[in-house]
Amino acid sequence: MADTVVRIDNLVKRYKDLIALDHLTLEIKEGEVFGLLGPNGSGKTTTINCLLSLLAFDKGEIDIFGKKMTPTSYDIKREIGIIMQNVAVFDELTVYDNIDYFCGLYITDKEERKKCVEEAIRFVGLEDFTKFYPKKLSGGLLRRLNIACGIAHKPKLIILDEPTVAVDPQSRNRILEGIEELNRNGATIIYTSHYMEEVEQICTRIAIMDKGHKIAEGTKEELKKMIKNTETINVEVRDLTDDILAQVSGLPHVYSAVYNEGRLTVACSGGKHNLIRVLEVLQKHDMHIGRVYSELPTLNDVFLEITGKALRDKEE
Amino acid sequence: MFLHNFKYELLAQLRVRTFILWLLVFPIALGFFFKLTFIGIYEKDSVFNTIPAAVDTTEDDPTLRAVLDQMEKSDSPVIRVSYLSAEEADRKLKDDDVEGIIRSEGGVLKLTVAGLGMNETILKSFCDKYNSNAEIIRAAAASDPTKAGEISGMLMKDVNTVEDIKLVNGNTDYYTEYFYNLIAMVGLFGALIGLSVTIDNQANLSALGARKNCSPTPKSVSMSASLVSKFLIQSVCMVWCVSFQHFVLGINFGDHLLLVYLAAIFSGILGVSLGFMVGSIGRGGKDIKSSITTAVVMFSCFLSGLMVGNIKSLIGKFAPIVNEINPASVISDCFHCLNIYDSYDKFISKIITMAVMTFVFSFVGFIMTRRRKYASL
Repeated sequence: MADTVVRIDNLVKRYKDLIALDHLTLEIKEGEVFGLLGPNGSGKTTTINCLLSLLAFDKGEIDIFGKKMTPTSYDIKREIGIIMQNVAVFDELTVYDNIDYFCGLYITDKEERKKCVEEAIRFVGLEDFTKFYPKKLSGGLLRRLNIACGIAHKPKLIILDEPTVAVDPQSRNRILEGIEELNRNGATIIYTSHYMEEVEQICTRIAIMDKGHKIAEGTKEELKKMIKNTETINVEVRDLTDDILAQVSGLPHVYSAVYNEGRLTVACSGGKHNLIRVLEVLQKHDMHIGRVYSELPTLNDVFLEITGKALRDKEE
Repeated sequence: MFLHNFKYELLAQLRVRTFILWLLVFPIALGFFFKLTFIGIYEKDSVFNTIPAAVDTTEDDPTLRAVLDQMEKSDSPVIRVSYLSAEEADRKLKDDDVEGIIRSEGGVLKLTVAGLGMNETILKSFCDKYNSNAEIIRAAAASDPTKAGEISGMLMKDVNTVEDIKLVNGNTDYYTEYFYNLIAMVGLFGALIGLSVTIDNQANLSALGARKNCSPTPKSVSMSASLVSKFLIQSVCMVWCVSFQHFVLGINFGDHLLLVYLAAIFSGILGVSLGFMVGSIGRGGKDIKSSITTAVVMFSCFLSGLMVGNIKSLIGKFAPIVNEINPASVISDCFHCLNIYDSYDKFISKIITMAVMTFVFSFVGFIMTRRRKYASL
């Protein structure tokens, strides 16, 4: 069984009357890509800041690599790479100098550091921009620089706090592929995001957070099994009568059927031939059918079913 | 680790164009402004000119004529006289061609002036001295005529007392004080650079600070490297400031130029450490701390009289301790000591005070920020 890299036990953090983290408990194993998923304000970044001993908390314990984390746990910090939500680089230093500076906070040997810096530059694809100043870089390239500064020293634990905010799709894919590669190379990853697609794509285990609580935890398959929905069928159809809608609602495994603005949405729980059965009902009444598609449940459905709201309700 | 941090902090700070430009351009702009403003006044008030005066020839006084002739022979005569008739002397006085009319009435000098300026005061001082000495000579002649000539020679030589005497080797003119004050202000504005040490190293003030706090480099190391790099940059700015004033604007700092450099460097370092300490105290964001630092510097300058002349003396009368601990006062006093006193004791004591204050400010800054967890980020 893999070793525990991070253990958060009963963590409570208050901002005056607001409870930002409410008895949060997490355990992250070596080699995992652990996702912290939740809307803005759910407590993801607060968890990371407490984990890094930047933020004082009211209650609870945090162990990293089996040792208690404090502001002076330099031996633990040496093994951690952090990629902040806000780009944290010197505007006055070039791409190369920035990476060299941050790498130098961890590695003192010049030769070793040079190798690490060059590898990091190659890893994020900034070879052609080493002499550029951050202000000359696009948003995507800047994020890549931010990542390079956090991983150049080859940490065992990498924490990425919303690293793809305001990033173009090309850079986003590159970043996500890079994270998977870092994981394949042996790093344990903690990844926070409110983009469920990203979390689904790269995370091996996920904790869903809302209002400082962990509301669910497991692999994406485990999380999806927690909810009733197994399939959502969408059919574009004109002039659907209440009688036909009632017939669809009465089909086996269908627990919800809604007709709105020319689209029939049917939610099913279990069953194997739900789509065929729905189409049979519509054909029986000679309905003109447009686009038909079936969706498997997403983490958004999980969040929606548990909290009654969509994950991006609060997204700005 | 320290050198690595120091190298990049220095490199980064050198590329903060706004800061550097401000520190380099501010003394140029204000120095030029002072120079342009004071150049007319300076030449009128501060440069000592020979005073034109008229001697009424209605009653001829050979002794007076001898004394005045003797005075005019010196390299920088205090008084240049014209021997005129009473009417002509009055007309010249009315036309401002002469500052006063000297009349001898029975060996006693009488002065007629049209105003109450420094020149009139000097003329009056001359007349008073002359009358006083003439009285002594007359008395001596009455008691021992053989020594009258000797006494006369001594005392008449003494009449020529109104001359430019240098008290120290510095430059005591009033307008140079403004340039000293300018140096003091540039030094104190180093507080804004000092503030950046706090901002760049505190997790609750910048993303950069947060990232540094996550690294295994102790905060004391990264902060001290940052602080030392700022000390160095501010010192270079201070050297530039003094050099510009002395070599470009031609401000005469007397024979103590090297000590002016030393005082300027200490004042810059004190300014940086002040900003570092102010930034490290209390909560609030970057903008609030920046405003507080600027306010502290301005208030310190105000209390020291860098803005309003007599505030410092008022504070010295009612709360002298404030002048002893106010950084701007300590800095301006340091220059003042250099300017006024012949001995270096006071200057050295002010330099030591600045060094102690720098140490205390830096120490407080470190204590307030090290090993800190934040309540919010």
